[in-house]
Amino acid sequence: MSSRSGPQPSAAYLDPSKARDPSTTQTPEDLTEAQRGELHRALRVDQAGEVAANYIYKGQLAVFQTDPKYGPLIQEMWDQEKKHLIVMNKMQLQHHVRPTILWEVAQVAGYGLGFVTALMGKEAAMACTEAVETVIGEHYQDQLKALEDFPDHPSLPLLREVIKEFRDDELEHLDTAVDHNSQRAPAHALLSTVIGGGCKIAIELCKRF
Amino acid sequence: MSSTTRNALLKLALPLIKDHGFTRSALSLAVMYSPSGKHTAPLNDTAVDALFGEGDEARRTLMNAWLDDARVSLRKSYSQDSDTATTARNPSLGNVLKTRLSKNEGVLEHLPEAFALLATPPTLSSLIFPLTLDPRPAISHSMSVAAEACKLSCDTSVGATWYTRRATIGAIYTAAELHQLYSPTTAHDFLDRLLEESQTLGMAVDETFIYAKYIVDAWKGIITSRGITP
Repeated sequence: MSSRSGPQPSAAYLDPSKARDPSTTQTPEDLTEAQRGELHRALRVDQAGEVAANYIYKGQLAVFQTDPKYGPLIQEMWDQEKKHLIVMNKMQLQHHVRPTILWEVAQVAGYGLGFVTALMGKEAAMACTEAVETVIGEHYQDQLKALEDFPDHPSLPLLREVIKEFRDDELEHLDTAVDHNSQRAPAHALLSTVIGGGCKIAIELCKRF
Repeated sequence: MSSTTRNALLKLALPLIKDHGFTRSALSLAVMYSPSGKHTAPLNDTAVDALFGEGDEARRTLMNAWLDDARVSLRKSYSQDSDTATTARNPSLGNVLKTRLSKNEGVLEHLPEAFALLATPPTLSSLIFPLTLDPRPAISHSMSVAAEACKLSCDTSVGATWYTRRATIGAIYTAAELHQLYSPTTAHDFLDRLLEESQTLGMAVDETFIYAKYIVDAWKGIITSRGITP
């Protein structure tokens, strides 16, 4: 699915030879309280978002697993989200971030959303993907801006590159959803507004809890 | 005086706790151990009130400073850059908690009163609510130790397990610390026993979840085979 060539930044977290590299094992100690809070909130929300995305695709695949076109498509997007979650979990541990207490809620809500939109039809499932990936893509972009002024530390350039990589992956999923007729979904505008609004509320809740 | 002076005096007061306890006297005498050597008399009550708080608030300030110092000292015990680190680089949870318990040994006789003081809320120390206790400082202390222990022992929990693990470790440490106050020589064995029992309990809970998952998967199979889902 990805048209980008060369090793991805997130490969640093999956490569055993980099297991002791400061960029994947250390966290900056000289951040101000505000910066540390910003970093922790960002990683907590990102991790929660990847949990929810995994379960959305799991819910959709529960309906489409025997579909010859949409089954493999959703499986491929889900496999990418699985990789995202593995990397986010490693970053959470690296930076000693508290995961969201709404972890189980993210799983149930994500699965429910994916399952219900899939039951509504293929276009509705794609519209769900389009709405969620739009919000996530924008959110990653906002985080990149917030992380620009952080002090130098080996972990931070890698963090920024990983967020860029994941942002681009999510935007690819968005394009895939549009290419597969998401905008022909019944009540597309309403569906997108409701799902997008729900995602924004979830982001604010995960920042705090 | 600035907060720098306050923090410097708190640091000087910590070694005096062994002989003077968590008292206003320790805070008052700290200035006499200043490296500058200028002060030959202890601070008066007014100065102690201004710097550290009035009445028992000053003692709580000293207790909290001691708890913070113990946490920093625990971290330094396992720091890769520390010259004083003598313990293993990737310690087990049990070793980290035992190291933390060992930080109590110098002031053990003063800790019961100090913990009781922390549990007494300052605004309700009047005769009106003599029996009210505030559990928050105790919970904050146990959670702080649990968080540090998980960080040092490279705990890899994520999700809900992150919370349950810390709550369990906090409870285990609190029980071991209370045991240490009354039976210091058997505290480490008690801690080992608690950790072993929690591991057994954890495995039992995991097996329960696995069994529950089998049941759920079986029902999913039944529902799918009935054609309820496409």
